[in-house]
Amino acid sequence: MASQPELAVFVVDDDDAMRDSLDFLLSSAGCAVRTFETAERLLEALSDGNCGCVVSDVRMPGIDGLELLRRIKATRPNLPVVIITGHGDVPLAVEAMKLGAADFVEKPFDDERLLGVVQAALAGAPREADPANEIGVRVASLSPRERQVLDGLVAGLSNKAIARTHDISPRTVEVYRANLMAKMQAGSLSDLVRMAMRAGLLRD
Amino acid sequence: MERGAGPETPSAPAADFASAIAGGPGFGPIVVDPATGAAVWSQPARTLFGLDPLSPADAVRLSELVDPEDRPAVERELARCAAAGDDLDVAFRVRRNGQPHWLRLLAASAGAGASRRLSGGVLDIDSQMRAEEALRSREEHLRSILETVPDAMIVIDATGTIQLFSRAAERMFGLSQDQAIGQNVRVLMPEPDSGRHDSYLARYRAEGEPRIIGIGRIVAGRRADGSTFPMHLSVGEAKWGERSYFTGFVRDLTEQQRTQTSLEQMQAELTHVSRLSAMGEMASALAHELNQPLAAISNYMKGSRRLLVDSPDPNAGKIETALDRAADQAIRAGQIIRRLRDFVLRGESERRIESVAKLVEEAAALGLVGSREQGLQLRLALDPTCDRVVADRVQIQQVLVNLMRNAMEAMAESPRRELVVSSGPVADGLVEIVVADTGQGLPEAVRANLFQPFFTTKEAGMGVGLSISRTIIESHGGKLSAEANPAGGATFRLTLPAAG
Repeated sequence: MASQPELAVFVVDDDDAMRDSLDFLLSSAGCAVRTFETAERLLEALSDGNCGCVVSDVRMPGIDGLELLRRIKATRPNLPVVIITGHGDVPLAVEAMKLGAADFVEKPFDDERLLGVVQAALAGAPREADPANEIGVRVASLSPRERQVLDGLVAGLSNKAIARTHDISPRTVEVYRANLMAKMQAGSLSDLVRMAMRAGLLRD
Repeated sequence: MERGAGPETPSAPAADFASAIAGGPGFGPIVVDPATGAAVWSQPARTLFGLDPLSPADAVRLSELVDPEDRPAVERELARCAAAGDDLDVAFRVRRNGQPHWLRLLAASAGAGASRRLSGGVLDIDSQMRAEEALRSREEHLRSILETVPDAMIVIDATGTIQLFSRAAERMFGLSQDQAIGQNVRVLMPEPDSGRHDSYLARYRAEGEPRIIGIGRIVAGRRADGSTFPMHLSVGEAKWGERSYFTGFVRDLTEQQRTQTSLEQMQAELTHVSRLSAMGEMASALAHELNQPLAAISNYMKGSRRLLVDSPDPNAGKIETALDRAADQAIRAGQIIRRLRDFVLRGESERRIESVAKLVEEAAALGLVGSREQGLQLRLALDPTCDRVVADRVQIQQVLVNLMRNAMEAMAESPRRELVVSSGPVADGLVEIVVADTGQGLPEAVRANLFQPFFTTKEAGMGVGLSISRTIIESHGGKLSAEANPAGGATFRLTLPAAG
């Protein structure tokens, strides 16, 4: 351990209290933390080499969270990036997961979840809350119709758009959607998107 | 001719008479043969008929000079006199310098058979006829104006008897002119005016103090079918000789009032909608602004708790628990804000398998704010065997919040304030949620209109809550209904599809 430079969590958030409290929380769990006020500053510091994980807010002046994610993935595709947001809307979650975010967390969040992702990232092991083969089993249990609706959802389509594509009523889509959420054991749509990605269902 | 005073004076009356029968301007003696229409013309008669004073006129038939429009009537009269020996009295027009000119021919019949003659004179009645015509056309014009004015016109005499009843009045009161004229005007008004109108008139006759004349006011009118309507009435008085007549102009205000009411409704709706969207924007901004500090609080708490784990402090355990709870409360506050934001800014309908208990408990937390101060008792009786339904959480909570707030308001004046929310399975794979209160209940008239948009019994209500609620429940494949309950309050029942 001593011979290796300690990997740090790079935190970027334009809100002072958020940034400081994240620093406090992560530090209390034993993580090394560096905080940045803007994504620009973080990108500049990235070449230092000791970044093991990035935690970024979505809404920021200048380069926002998704753009930061895009730029990091272009140069360091293996660096885990956790996106945190005050608004958990579906297209944003789908977009973040497609861009390769390690996780998508809504504020205010459960510390266990954030720390779990961050610590796994720092340890260099991908977090496997739901093993890929387990997710595969759940996907396989879906009916063809449920599978079509799942594909539509993770493609970021609205219920209406999915209904139109498959020539069924939006009401029916809602029922399939409720059923497949239950079968996939997904608590939220971003959960579902995450699992779909892990199961290799997300197309670019 | 100068007349001197002299012994010849007795001859003067005869000369005057001769001069009189010779005619003058406006009067011309004439003798007509009714059988042929030929005439013996005096000079003034020639002038009146527009004949050249020098042309031989004996061959001219009288009827030829008459305006073609009046000619048949004149010929008919002449024929009648020829046959029956009647006297003649006929008015007609002749053409003088191309202009019609009214004359009247008055003649006495004398003789019999072929020798029958009509002797008399022709009178110039043109200016008189023109005056009459002008009067008639003015009257015609006035009548047409009165008939096109949307205001009804009613004329009564001093005793209240209807003398005139315009076309608009017929339409407005649903009464024909024939039915109305001769009746007392009180048939056009509801009580108490109907019973008092005669005394109003009597008082005016006695005191001469006008109460409505020249002022105009809004009163109630009564149609023939008994229905009443708001009307604006202005009354004028006219005197013909000793007799008084009152003319009333009536404007039906039904339409105007309806327009005004709907305008007020629309305005209220608009204010409500703009307030809602302002609230939505505010809630959204608030959610974002408050989430930041709340998340920060939660992070500090959780971090502190971690640091305490290895502390030898004997109170560490208690502090840990307190920090955990404080952090949970911060997260809860964030969820409330998120829920409020979802509630106001409804996005696309999102159906999921939801727990009835959770739906109801969360809705109660939102909807019954301030209920404890009111002394309201909430009792939940939810059947755990049918807890799962397919529903859009936000929409169903909106309905439940609406029902609970209605119940709360309905119970504001009640001695007993108990709200019971229960659930249970019903037929066709549906789950029923029942919201029952002990409020003022549902009179039949209210119940019939309950789900109509813009129906409200509340002073400040919009009357859209229940109609929207029903739409939401029906879009879920369920039903929303209302009934009075034995406790004297109202019971609302909604059904949702059970999750299979």
